[in-house]
Amino acid sequence: MSEKNDARNTTEVGEPISRRKVLAWLTTMGLFGSAIVTVFSNLVFIKPRATYGQPMRFSIGTPDEFPPGTRIALGTQKIAVIREGDKMAAISTTCTHLGCIVGVADTGFACPCHGSRYDQDGNVTGGPAPKALPWFELSLAPNGELEVDKSKEIKAGKWFTV
Amino acid sequence: MVYRMSDTSQTKNILSVIRNMPAAVWSSVFRHNLPHTDLGRSQTSFTNFFLHMHPVKVHKNTLRPWFTMGLGLISLFLFLILTVTGVLLMFYYVPSTTQAYDRMLDLRGSVAFGDFLRNMHRWSAHGMVAAVFLHMCRVFFTGSYKKPREFNWVLGVGLFLLTLFLSFTGYLLPWDQLAFWAITVGTAIAGYAPVFGEQIRFLLLGDTTVGQEALLRFYVLHVAVLPIAMVTMIAIHFWRIRKDGGLSRPVASDIVVDPAPPQELALPGAINLIEKKRYGVQGVVRGPFTKVGNVPDNSVYSYPNLLLAELFVLILTIFGVLAVSYFFNAPLEEPVNVLHPPNPAKAPWYFLGLQEMVSYSAFWGGVGIPAIEVLILFLVPYFDRAQKGIGLWFSRERLLANTLFGTFVVVNIVLIIIGTFFRGQNWEFVSPF
Repeated sequence: MSEKNDARNTTEVGEPISRRKVLAWLTTMGLFGSAIVTVFSNLVFIKPRATYGQPMRFSIGTPDEFPPGTRIALGTQKIAVIREGDKMAAISTTCTHLGCIVGVADTGFACPCHGSRYDQDGNVTGGPAPKALPWFELSLAPNGELEVDKSKEIKAGKWFTV
Repeated sequence: MVYRMSDTSQTKNILSVIRNMPAAVWSSVFRHNLPHTDLGRSQTSFTNFFLHMHPVKVHKNTLRPWFTMGLGLISLFLFLILTVTGVLLMFYYVPSTTQAYDRMLDLRGSVAFGDFLRNMHRWSAHGMVAAVFLHMCRVFFTGSYKKPREFNWVLGVGLFLLTLFLSFTGYLLPWDQLAFWAITVGTAIAGYAPVFGEQIRFLLLGDTTVGQEALLRFYVLHVAVLPIAMVTMIAIHFWRIRKDGGLSRPVASDIVVDPAPPQELALPGAINLIEKKRYGVQGVVRGPFTKVGNVPDNSVYSYPNLLLAELFVLILTIFGVLAVSYFFNAPLEEPVNVLHPPNPAKAPWYFLGLQEMVSYSAFWGGVGIPAIEVLILFLVPYFDRAQKGIGLWFSRERLLANTLFGTFVVVNIVLIIIGTFFRGQNWEFVSPF
């Protein structure tokens, strides 16, 4: 009984902290730290390392398949291929607003979800879209087929000449 | 020991054990017969697992149908219906982009009661969103979120958000056009969240595009993660109702009892005697609820008064869901076409207000304003602390608060009406008339 009281008194006057207090503090920190580590590892777990999405770089066929005047949407690749004379471009058809697929018309692009509208070159002309539709890099592969690289955005109006 | 039994008495003994067994089993499960006394009514509430969440006695104000309109109960019962029908649907559903839609058609064509169960599940979900929202309006307009019920309001707002997430993750599962474009737009909105937006979007989708991984993730959220969170929060919500002193009620509805006969107070050192009388066997409960002795009050026994009221709401809810599910089929749009969103691509009605706001600005409509709204809702009981007009509908003393909240409700309803009826192709303004 008296020992207990003594121990309590020593902590109160600022003597060396009791063993019990240090252990309690370490345990608390340990449990708290473990909880953080657990949450973090779970986040790491649910973040996939490999994805099954489409390749960013793909072939769309030879230039002959797109005669001058073409404005055509390639659905699965989510791009529009445009050819005016010998100039070609690949413009994204994913709306910059919330990711719906915009419709392709001769006058430009229109999004059915929230009403964003773009002109023929993908510049915003109306609606909530925050920025223009990106243009992707086009190149000619050695086998004569056009290749689009969706990981490389280029400046709007930078046509590819075939 | 001179205790010996003849064969016949042993046989008799065994026979009587067998004869008494049903009664013994019954009385071990149900400790009391149907009660006919006040003591029995108390014991019934106390000793039955399913009833013990009820108080033994309940205030008459709580039982006034037009005070609560049973909206909280309706929400709970709809959630129970959703759980049962949801588990049944899981027997036939496959969260696969190639199979999910076919499974919907199977429910319609080749599963007994399949379409009916899907109808019940879908309409109950719509009903639950409405019931939870109306319940929130009831609690606000009766000033029931005030001290000591502030935290239960916070839990309630959380439950409302969970209800919305559950319904959102649910209508993605059929993998029809609505599902695909809703998941596309919904996760794109998440992508606009500050700092971690893109990471959140990637975690939700499990991929850079909407596909199989996303469907699986939303399925797991819908059938495991969110329901578990929901059940836990419902349990705390109900527990807090009891611990916060039952439902709110106007001060005038309590009978004021003369606190103590003067001769008892005359004893030195016994001043607090009467106060102490309120500490009942359950420990300290806020509010004048746990009492010792027969103080006159406005409460009645939960058995049968509260139970009958609950049974009535349950029957009404089930009847409503069955009727709607019988007459209306749950919507199922065309199978996913990743090339063409439907035009216009509309979410279910309760998200059309959000969709209308998003059509002005993705960040402000989808993230900024909703986040501010939710934050304000969470903090309402800590802003508005005056202990006035509690337990009364549209109390004049709460005119300002009720007007502000009423405006919030009306604005959201107007946005939903615009989104539903006044938006056509390419989300352009059209007149329905």
